[in-house]
Amino acid sequence: MDKDTIEMLARRAGLARALADFPEDVTIAATQAADVAQKIKRPADPRAEPWPPMKAGTTL
Amino acid sequence: MAADEGGDDAMSDLHWMTVGAAARAIAAKELSPVDLTKALLDRIERLDPTLNAFIRIDGEAAMAAALAAETEAQSGRLRGPLHGVPVGIKDIIDVAGLPTTCHSKVLQDNMATADAVCVEKLRGAGAIVLGKLSTHEFAIGGPSFDLPWPPARNPWNTDHHPGGSSSGSGSGVAAGLFPMALGTDTGGSVRNPASCCGIVGLKPTYGLVSRRGVFPLSFTLDHVGPMTRTVADNALMLEAIAGHDPLDPGSAASAQGHYGAALDRGIRGLRVGFVRHFHEIDTPANPEVTAALEHVARSLQVEGAEVRTITLPSLNEFGAVNRVILQSEAWSIHGPWLSERPGDYGKLGRQRLMAGAFMSAGDYMLASRRRLQMIAEVEAAFREVDVLLCASSMDPACRIEDTAEVARTYPRQARTPFNVTGHPALAMMAGLSVGGMPVSVQFVGRYFDEATVFQVARAWERVAGTDKKHPPIV
Repeated sequence: MDKDTIEMLARRAGLARALADFPEDVTIAATQAADVAQKIKRPADPRAEPWPPMKAGTTL
Repeated sequence: MAADEGGDDAMSDLHWMTVGAAARAIAAKELSPVDLTKALLDRIERLDPTLNAFIRIDGEAAMAAALAAETEAQSGRLRGPLHGVPVGIKDIIDVAGLPTTCHSKVLQDNMATADAVCVEKLRGAGAIVLGKLSTHEFAIGGPSFDLPWPPARNPWNTDHHPGGSSSGSGSGVAAGLFPMALGTDTGGSVRNPASCCGIVGLKPTYGLVSRRGVFPLSFTLDHVGPMTRTVADNALMLEAIAGHDPLDPGSAASAQGHYGAALDRGIRGLRVGFVRHFHEIDTPANPEVTAALEHVARSLQVEGAEVRTITLPSLNEFGAVNRVILQSEAWSIHGPWLSERPGDYGKLGRQRLMAGAFMSAGDYMLASRRRLQMIAEVEAAFREVDVLLCASSMDPACRIEDTAEVARTYPRQARTPFNVTGHPALAMMAGLSVGGMPVSVQFVGRYFDEATVFQVARAWERVAGTDKKHPPIV
C-alpha cells in the first residue's frame, strides 16, 4: 500500500489526528492489514456461508 | 535453574495450596480464610513490586470478605465449592466498585457499577476477590512500557515476559500470589501466559462462559477462561463460571457440567490426534519445544492412548482469519477513540487496533466464510479422534525488554485456530527449557467436551508432575 493510499484511507476512517501525530504507527497499522487477507483461501463455492450465521428468534 | 518441587498441601506453604485443598481445609474448619487471604496479601506486598501482576490490590475488601467467609464457615454455611479461596481478576473484567482500566489511559477512571457475570458466579461459589490484574492494553497492546502501569513479569525469571494478554493472571498464579485467576482469550490470551508461566489455562468452548461485563476485543472470538496451577483446580473453577446467560448474545444454551468427573479415569483407549504440522512445518518450533511435545505424545501412548497424526488447515491461514476478524471487530469498538484521542493509547495498542481501519468489508466476509470451512475441517478431525494434541507456544518466553525477540516470538504460536473454531483448548507445562523457562503443550476437545480435555491433561500432569513444579521465587 503506497503512502497516498494509506493517507487517503486513514482520513476516510477518521484517523486524521493519528496521521498527524503518529504517522509511523498509521503506516505500520496499514502495512499489517495490507496483505493479511491474501493468505486466506477464497471459498470456491459461491454459496459458502459465513460464520457466525444470522439466526432469527434467539435469546434476546 | 531447578524448579521448586514442594508439595501443595502443607499448611506452612499456604501460597502453594491448590484451590481444591484450600476449599476442603476451609470446609473442614482446618484453615481460616482470613489466614489464607492475609498470607497471600503479605506475599503480594513482598513480590508484586517486582512482578507487577496487579493494577489494583483491593486488600481491605478482600480481608472483609475473608472475615465474612470465616464466620460463615464456622457456622457451617458454605457458599459453594470455592468458599474462602482468593482469586485475581484480569482488569478487562468488571468488579463492582473498582475501575476496569483495561490497562489503558483511555479507561483509567472507568468505574464498574456491577460485577461481570463470571465474577458474580465466582463470588456466588464463595471466592474472594483480591484485586485487578495487569493485561496488555485492551488485551492486545503489549507487553508495553508506555502505559500508566508497568507490564507484568515472569516469576520463572523476572527479566522475561509472562505472555499475554492475561499477563498478571499468569504471573500471579505461577508465583503463588493467588491460586486461581480469570483471564480472557481472543487470540490465545489465556493460553499464552499459561504456557509462558507453566500453569494451566483453559479457553472454554465459545459461549460456555458469559462475556457480559467483560470489555470486548472481538465479539466473535472473545472467551473468558480459568487459570490455575493444577488441572483439577481448572475444572473446579470452570464449574463455577460456566452456564447460560440470556443477556450474552453469544452464550451457549447449556453447560455440560461435571468437568472434573473423568479426571482420574486414565486415558486407555482414547484417540489423540497429534497436529504435528503446526510446529514441524507451518511454524517450526524451538527444538526444546519439539522434543517436549514428542515426549508428551509418547507418555500418553504409554498411558494407553492411541496417538495418530492429524492434518488441519495451516497455522498461517488460521492466523490470517483470526487477524482479519479480530482487528475488524476491534476497530468497530476503538475507532471513535482512536480518531479523537490516539495519544491516549500505547504505541503497540494503537498500531494493532488501527489495523482494522485498513481492512475492507470484503476481507471480513472472506475470513468469516473461510471460518465456517475451517470449523468443518476441525469437526471432521474430531470424527477420527477424541482430543487433539499440538503446540501452544513455539518458544519459551524471552526477555521482556528485547522488543525484537518479543515481536519475533509472540506470533509463533498455535492458539488462534481454536479461537477461530471455538473449540475448547487447554495449555499447560510440557517441561522446562535448559534456560529454566516453561515450555508448553496444548490439548483441544470437541465442543462442550471440556471434561475429556481435562482427562487427558490430568493424565499428562500425573505422569510429569507439572502440578508440583513452581518457579524458584521465594
